[in-house]
Amino acid sequence: MEGNAIAFMGAGLGLGLIVIGAGLGIGKLAAGAAEAIGRQPSAAAQITGAVNLPLFLLEGVAILAEVFALLIVLLK
Amino acid sequence: MFQPHEAAHAAPKAATEGFNAGETIISHVANSSIDHPLIHLPKILGIDFSVTKHVFMVWLVAALLFLIVTTVVRRYIRAEKEHPVPRGVMNALEALVEFIRDAIVQPNVGNKWVRTWTPLLLTLFLFILAGNLIGLIPAFDVLALLNHTVLHLPEDSFLTRVTHGGTTATGNFNVTAALATVTFLTIIIAGVRAHGFVKHWKNMVPTGLPWPIYFLLIPIEIMGMFVRPFALTMRLAANMTGGHIAILAILSFVFIFTELFASAAAGVGVGVVLSLPLAVGISGLEIIVVLVQAYVFTLLTAVFIGMAIHAHH
Repeated sequence: MEGNAIAFMGAGLGLGLIVIGAGLGIGKLAAGAAEAIGRQPSAAAQITGAVNLPLFLLEGVAILAEVFALLIVLLK
Repeated sequence: MFQPHEAAHAAPKAATEGFNAGETIISHVANSSIDHPLIHLPKILGIDFSVTKHVFMVWLVAALLFLIVTTVVRRYIRAEKEHPVPRGVMNALEALVEFIRDAIVQPNVGNKWVRTWTPLLLTLFLFILAGNLIGLIPAFDVLALLNHTVLHLPEDSFLTRVTHGGTTATGNFNVTAALATVTFLTIIIAGVRAHGFVKHWKNMVPTGLPWPIYFLLIPIEIMGMFVRPFALTMRLAANMTGGHIAILAILSFVFIFTELFASAAAGVGVGVVLSLPLAVGISGLEIIVVLVQAYVFTLLTAVFIGMAIHAHH
């Protein structure tokens, strides 16, 4: 029971950390893109295209971390 | 934990035995157990080929896509002389094909290989999109409700088994792993076709470095080769499963509150005020996620193919 509680706590804390990291990353990306488009509105399409790929890679890392948090709970 | 029979009876059980939200949700998003498949098939070479819920959905998606796309395109080709401008579904299909070719494949793969890899990426995109979207249509859940209230079919009939909860085949890690395996092989084949077999593997590490660095670099590159399809697998499956879990968790508030206050009115009140609007909102969000995930899978595959073809080292 004790071990289970620690596993659940670890997964919960991990989820919080994942959200902090992913939120910071996406926030920075969005801020950078918005600034760049604000400075040069004609390049909006290109900037969106350049932002897309790192955004998805970041999302992939966050999802992977979430899956591992889920595994902690399932395989505890 | 993965018993599908518990899902269909979760609602009546809530009144007597207590409602287990976690178990109900898992049995909704998980594949049906191999012990209770939809269609029993014999074992070949020790592998059980029985058709489970997700296998059924994969074949359904493939059949639907094949029928719709081929009929639409054939009808257009037959009447091309009279109506050279595409109409209706053909119009949408052409817009989609053009989008994939011009916005995803061409910028990443390059002009030389665009015609080689567009068909594969189109197939991937359409299959993933259809597989994702069909999970959002609660057709099978409506059938289950009908079965539960009107038809009362026996427990082991095909219809009863097929209606154990919602089904998104792309929310299953095995399905997405198969799709990512296609990507994995495609990257290698694209590199080999562009540079030849030996050159493709040489391209993966830069040349002209001091030799001790290769001890570090080669394992990293080999790991990266496997991490990319693994990330694709996890991203698609986890996104599809995650949305369904969120919707089901919000909807299970109804049963949790009914139990907590021991009155149906509390559950219905929470359902109307909180659960239903939130679930509708998340379903709307899910439609965007479905489109984005199909786009992401296709885009990343195109990027990886492009990386294999235009090796900068």
